[in-house]
Amino acid sequence: MPERAPSGAGELEFAGLVRQHQAMVYSMAWHFLRDRAVAEELAQEVFLSLHQHLAELESAAHVQNWLRRVASQRALDVVRRRQRRPMVSLEDAPEPVAIAPTGDPMLGGVLRKLVAALPEKARAIVILRYQEDLDPTEIAAVLQIPVGTVKSQLQRTLALLREKLMRTVGEVRL
Amino acid sequence: MNLEDELRAALRCKEPPPDFAARVMARVAAAPARPAGRAWVRWTAALAASVVLAAGALEYRHYEGERAKEQVLLAVRIAATKLNKAHRKIQMLNHRSNS
Repeated sequence: MPERAPSGAGELEFAGLVRQHQAMVYSMAWHFLRDRAVAEELAQEVFLSLHQHLAELESAAHVQNWLRRVASQRALDVVRRRQRRPMVSLEDAPEPVAIAPTGDPMLGGVLRKLVAALPEKARAIVILRYQEDLDPTEIAAVLQIPVGTVKSQLQRTLALLREKLMRTVGEVRL
Repeated sequence: MNLEDELRAALRCKEPPPDFAARVMARVAAAPARPAGRAWVRWTAALAASVVLAAGALEYRHYEGERAKEQVLLAVRIAATKLNKAHRKIQMLNHRSNS
């Protein structure tokens, strides 16, 4: 028997799930892609997929992990498709403009740009670590890679980001 | 300034546009229907169908065997009838030649 679009209580329940997790899914997509329209489209597709798989998910935690995993995978797919076109890597990216030495919106903007220019796996790890506050074991489970890879990538990426920022705000201890 | 704290601040969650959830729900309503049911229900149904098919195949083989047995018995009965006829003819011929 075909499943109909949610109605009544089911619709309300699913709409509640969307509202509960929309910021997380949309932010992951936005931090990955730095493109509002593409991020919104990706986030909508993740929720459509959630609707199709909802019966297989057994708990709220399961739903959250599923959303993180699917959002990461889809964002990685979009990044990989984009990479078929020439891209500027973080190493080659121009230095950001000089910024104020203390945490402020400009520094946040610079960091977001630097994160968005990271290689896709490193970007996924940083977003899951600092947006979602996951530890390396949880990140490894979401991305289905070894914990050791997560830890080493995270260390390398932080060193790279620190170096990039130090060139801009050299006198500040990071 | 701590880089990790700055990253947490820079990557904090952003809200999508206000009508995001409504647009998701509209797309859900417009999405084509897909087969309902939990995975285990589908697997159980498939297993039950397989069992029914296997039982049907066994029953068919049994029926075919019975049919073949009946055909063999019929053939034996026909052969026996013919042999009896032939035997009677031979006896008649023997009887005539003796008398």
